[in-house]
Amino acid sequence: MAMNQLLLIPIVAFAKLLTLVLRLSGRGSGTALPGYLVGRYFPFALEALVSQIPTVVAITGTNGKTTSQTMLSAVISQVPGVNVLRNKAGANLSQGILSELLKQSNTWGHLDFTHAVLEIEEATLPRIATLIKPNIIAVTNLYRDQLDAYGEIDRTEKLIRDGIAQCPAAAVVVNGDDPRTARLTQGLGNATYFVSLAPEYARFLPYEGKLNRRAANSQGLEATQIQINEDLTTDFAIHGQMNGTAVQIPQARTVSPGFFHVYNALTAIAIANLLGIDETTAIAGLQTFKPAFGRGETLIRQQGDKQVNYRLLLVKNPASFSLSLELLRNIPNLKLLLAINDNTADGRDVSWLWDSELERLNQAQIAWILCTGIRAKDMAVRLKYALDQPPGPIPAEESIRQALDLSFQQAQSGDTVFVLPTYTAMLEFRKLMGKTLAVV
Amino acid sequence: MPYALTITHLYPDHLNLYGDLGNLIVLRCRCQWMGLDCTVNSLTLGEPARRGTTDIYFMGGGQDTDQMAVVNDFHQLKRDAIQADTEAGAVFLGVCGGYQLMGNTFLMGNGEVTQGLGIIDVSTQAPGADVKQRCIGNLVAELTDAIYADMQTLYATPKDIPRTLVGFENHSGQTYLGKGVEPLARTIAGFGNNATAEYEGARYKNIFGSYMHGSLLPKNPHFADYLIGLALRRRYPEAAIALPVLPDTEELAAHSYAVQRYR
Ligand SMILES: [Zn+2]
Repeated sequence: MAMNQLLLIPIVAFAKLLTLVLRLSGRGSGTALPGYLVGRYFPFALEALVSQIPTVVAITGTNGKTTSQTMLSAVISQVPGVNVLRNKAGANLSQGILSELLKQSNTWGHLDFTHAVLEIEEATLPRIATLIKPNIIAVTNLYRDQLDAYGEIDRTEKLIRDGIAQCPAAAVVVNGDDPRTARLTQGLGNATYFVSLAPEYARFLPYEGKLNRRAANSQGLEATQIQINEDLTTDFAIHGQMNGTAVQIPQARTVSPGFFHVYNALTAIAIANLLGIDETTAIAGLQTFKPAFGRGETLIRQQGDKQVNYRLLLVKNPASFSLSLELLRNIPNLKLLLAINDNTADGRDVSWLWDSELERLNQAQIAWILCTGIRAKDMAVRLKYALDQPPGPIPAEESIRQALDLSFQQAQSGDTVFVLPTYTAMLEFRKLMGKTLAVV
Repeated sequence: MPYALTITHLYPDHLNLYGDLGNLIVLRCRCQWMGLDCTVNSLTLGEPARRGTTDIYFMGGGQDTDQMAVVNDFHQLKRDAIQADTEAGAVFLGVCGGYQLMGNTFLMGNGEVTQGLGIIDVSTQAPGADVKQRCIGNLVAELTDAIYADMQTLYATPKDIPRTLVGFENHSGQTYLGKGVEPLARTIAGFGNNATAEYEGARYKNIFGSYMHGSLLPKNPHFADYLIGLALRRRYPEAAIALPVLPDTEELAAHSYAVQRYR
């Protein structure tokens, strides 16, 4: 190991030099290539770098990796003297993680961090588990994506299980309602902590198969009295037991909306508990969390005296779509912009619109709905079959630019329009908002 | 219309990929809009099928483990009743994995070819060396003359219906039709049954198979009506069936947009 640490010095120097050269030559920030080359030619570098950080948390799962990671970092950062390293959203393959470590280390290959909170792509976990030796592994949920016909999710479940099996000393925090994650440690010796919602909420969640009911004596945290507020903050209470000690938290809040974020918050609080952080500190940390790109952020468009807020809730699969709709049921006078593209990053097959429970809108008080994006017309057909009483014909305007203008005209000053875009529709929408933001 | 129809969704918990539910939603809503009394039942693992109780069977696709479980269950508890029904003209629609599954053999993800339900004489094989990739993408196909002509006779007043079907395909299995099985449509864009033939889907009696999801019936309301019409004709042989013409503005707009964009 000491040998490896010494060897790190020239490797890190090389990586940093390469990054600098790439940056000076104008080839982007140049962070991917050094990670790739180092990973390929010096496979021990990852282990040598991570092993310097005393506490390593690995977060994986289908949805909510980034949010859980951000929440946990916010919570840990409350503690004086800690220094948290995290990889960037999306840079969750071994290369991306290695690049981040190389970037954060000093010239001598030294990393001055107390904690690493790493988001890890599901299939990557078993490939790097023995290298990063996580103290804690969290699995948010396991949803099938829309292109999964041939048991991909079964394979993913197995891969994560293999990853956990390689780390017998790691504590494991899993979603206790999702039948796929709840069974991950069955037959393994890992200490396991379940995070779950009280059954009256969990039944809204489109898990695959029967909702798991965890055993009464199991360890973990459960959220009750979940209240989604009009400003889309979410309040809830927490009870449970961690390592034999009862936990009672009468009120916690996330500034981001919805049941998914309650799971993410519970995951962060359970991990904080395992790290010895007290509840008051953890709850305070949770509130400093800001929602990321497309996950509840608000963009404002202003023209003259008129100002309209656009609240973005990314939809990427039936689960996230159904859950966003569940949230919006409580909003009075709901104004909705549904933006559906079918580019590769969105999923080219729009069948998933039919697996999404648009029927939940029947309990909402809808002012108007506008469909946009390449598949605006598909969305309009889905709504026609979902709504018992549509608020008149549902307009479908493929051009997102025109739909944005139309929505702005239709809205009153001060209104909030909820935008549910697929990934590329969101990128386009944000770009358009960037240009129109300052129009006076 | 003072008629009733019973739809049976086969294995809804196990075969439910790619918006299969959309096909059921569309059948149910359109029956209601036409004033038909429509019941949707589901029939899953461990439940025996009863002959003469279903007008339209629907089956979607699933993952390998689920499809395997279905094959054994089907042969033990359902095949005799369902085959007696379909041989007597009951409507059956299988989509994608469901289409492959209802044939003699189908293809699993690991490349293994397995015995299917055997209610229609089609078989699905692993792609040979000439097929380079999965058949994946938007699919546009033109209904056969016979089916298109028959479709138009169903309505109470003439209805301007498209000749095309649109959907999205995603399969590596290559499906071949046996003797006595007709194709459903001629492929215009995409692959359909296999990478070399020019046809999409299959028909034998009132059994239909198609590779289209997207989902299939929402954007092809004329095909949904056809299944409803065929089921009514069989259940009420004495009556002159004439379907009300529903205003399919949204459905047909989505249909023509897909034809234009993806053909
Ligand atoms: Zn398919």
